[in-house]
Amino acid sequence: MKIKVFRRITQILTILLIVTIPILNRKGITILMGSLYSLAIDGVWMTDPLSGFQVILSTLSADSVLLISMTIPILLALIFGRVFCSWMCPQNTLSELFDYVSNRFSVRRLIDLSPWAAPRYIIMAAFLLLTLILGFPVANLISAPGIISVQISKYVYEGTVGLEMGLIGVIVLSEIFLVRRVWCNYICPVGSFLGLFRFNKTMKVLYKEDAEHVCGKCLECVKACQLGLNPMEGRIYPLCYNCGDCIAACERIKDRGKPLLFKF
Amino acid sequence: MSKKLLRPPGALKEIDFISRCMRCGKCAQVCPYRSIKVASLMDGLTDMGTPFIKARDIPCYLCMKCPPVCPSGALDRALKKKQDVRMGIASINKKECLAWQGTLCRSCYQSCPIFDEAIKMDNELRPVVDEKKCVGCGICENVCPVEPAAIIVKSR
Repeated sequence: MKIKVFRRITQILTILLIVTIPILNRKGITILMGSLYSLAIDGVWMTDPLSGFQVILSTLSADSVLLISMTIPILLALIFGRVFCSWMCPQNTLSELFDYVSNRFSVRRLIDLSPWAAPRYIIMAAFLLLTLILGFPVANLISAPGIISVQISKYVYEGTVGLEMGLIGVIVLSEIFLVRRVWCNYICPVGSFLGLFRFNKTMKVLYKEDAEHVCGKCLECVKACQLGLNPMEGRIYPLCYNCGDCIAACERIKDRGKPLLFKF
Repeated sequence: MSKKLLRPPGALKEIDFISRCMRCGKCAQVCPYRSIKVASLMDGLTDMGTPFIKARDIPCYLCMKCPPVCPSGALDRALKKKQDVRMGIASINKKECLAWQGTLCRSCYQSCPIFDEAIKMDNELRPVVDEKKCVGCGICENVCPVEPAAIIVKSR
């Protein structure tokens, strides 16, 4: 259960971070600044790679400060995979919460989709093309983590939120009633773009059965996966966002010799 | 988009600003006067999330804290001097302006941060905007005693 505890702590810390930043900023403390489009932690700038890339596309130029600020998130993705999505993104946290609640009340979703990576890449490509044509960061219109963090900041400063906060409501409702975890699994362009930064040494969930690692085929890992993936089949990337829930479930059954683990 | 928003100091030309601004909201967070607001979806798709200033509510006091925090360069990070800001331009509605209508008023003249340069008083003690010197901060619009303001700052 260690992985899951760690992940929950990181998720809570991220939400605390985006709530604390505007509260501190309003008091004039600016050591932490920004939103999930672009964060500044004591002068270290970190920009969401998709936002940065859109600016490059829409202006057809690259600002060195912007490029440098994209390196930490890109490195994070290259090393650990899409852990931003599963360990930090507030939309994912919210979606997980509502997924838990709707499963608890056994709400039946209208459509049962099996995991399929094509739609999210088509959506991302379409938004990037629109960015190039229209000349402004179009995908940021539907960047859920960005919108949530900016709107929290707007609420702290202005006492209101914008209509775009409605997108979050639409996402949550669609995931409760239409398709399970539809946003993170089939749509979100932020995650799709982060998913491009992977190579053969990127951290991955490995299913390994041998003399020391014996699988009881209990299917707890399959049940644990919110994205509907089967870690025993392999080929779970690019959809798997390395939350580690399957590993935690496996760990619960057997703490030694478990066939599922994170591997670089 | 029908109405151009007044952008923070250092903002690039509107079309370039829209392309470059990442909508991250840092400029609004660093603004100590809370002059910078974040536009919402209601302001239009291209303006959603972008920063703007409503001078009649809270103008820009030219503290110059926002340009250096911009991660994308939509605000010119090198801009340091308030005299070099060109965020907007003030224009006087002479039909409504007290001074132009014969009543003594120097509100805008006195509060202009580019004092006696961007707004000057003519021989008959009426305010006149020097478009070359006006930075567009909107302090004049904010202090104008007429309702609605007789001096208005428009985006450049």
